[in-house]
Amino acid sequence: MTKPSVVQPPRLAVWLVNLFTPYEQAESIPGDLLEEFSDLALKSEVAFARRWYWRQSVKTIGHLILSGFRSAPWTIAGAVLLGHLLLPFGFILPEKIIVAVLRIFPVYPNYDHKNVYELWMFWVPLAIEIGWIIAPVIIGCIVAVVAKAREMLATMMLGLSFLGLRLVAIIVNRPGRVLTRPDILLGLIAAFVIGGVIVRKIRSALSRRPSPAHC
Amino acid sequence: MSNRDFLGEFEHIVVLALLRLADQAYGVTVRREIEARTDREVSIGAIYATLDRLETKGYVKSHLGDPTPERGGRSKRFFHVTAKGVAAVNRTRRALGSMTEGLDLVRRYS
Repeated sequence: MTKPSVVQPPRLAVWLVNLFTPYEQAESIPGDLLEEFSDLALKSEVAFARRWYWRQSVKTIGHLILSGFRSAPWTIAGAVLLGHLLLPFGFILPEKIIVAVLRIFPVYPNYDHKNVYELWMFWVPLAIEIGWIIAPVIIGCIVAVVAKAREMLATMMLGLSFLGLRLVAIIVNRPGRVLTRPDILLGLIAAFVIGGVIVRKIRSALSRRPSPAHC
Repeated sequence: MSNRDFLGEFEHIVVLALLRLADQAYGVTVRREIEARTDREVSIGAIYATLDRLETKGYVKSHLGDPTPERGGRSKRFFHVTAKGVAAVNRTRRALGSMTEGLDLVRRYS
């Protein structure tokens, strides 16, 4: 069977490993996985090497998550707590801002009362929707910044604890108006994690400097 | 950190692998050495989580090597055992030896 000259490991697995790898091991862990993958792909089937890479990646991420929690539990807990404190503000702030802007700067001051009402009916729900999309991403970013090098752990914990609290609220029969819908709950959790990914990627790009071995 | 600390089971295995590999000890070789000698599949993440813990305790030290093309231009992180680490290995081995001394494990439990 012919093999391509350069075999690459699964891109998604590489991306996930890079997200969870601590900055000080950003060279060693992905490098070790790539070295073993290349060796395995040469000696056996590429499909087998890819399966091996996925298996190693999943186990490695699991270990990195556990060791991340063990090394800085209070930093992660503090960041998650901050996220929960910011949530109420995050959800109402965009709505308040848009309503305040509309009051100060009426867009169409010559419109009659009916049209102004219609304009409000258009903008206010939109503000709520924008808030619900952007606010959790921003909160995820803030939590990730506070969590220092454990962005992914903190934002995942924020999402899981948020889900846990919502489930408790549903069980004790005190659900919110909309936050019992599974699609919205999962969307919010994904938005927190996206915030973590954004901060992680920015930090990775900033910390990518030549290693002492290059000098 | 107390000077009377013992190594955990996997920590013990990892430190022994480092001692065997001497100046060639980095993630890939350590993982292969453990797999070959213990016949158990080990992940790179487990190796680094343990090495990180051992480095925090002062039992191992690490340094970055040269970047190589087969690693996508990334450097290897080489590890070596410190004198404190060797003392911990000896302490753990003595403790295990003392605990198993006089036990006829093969005859009694096999």
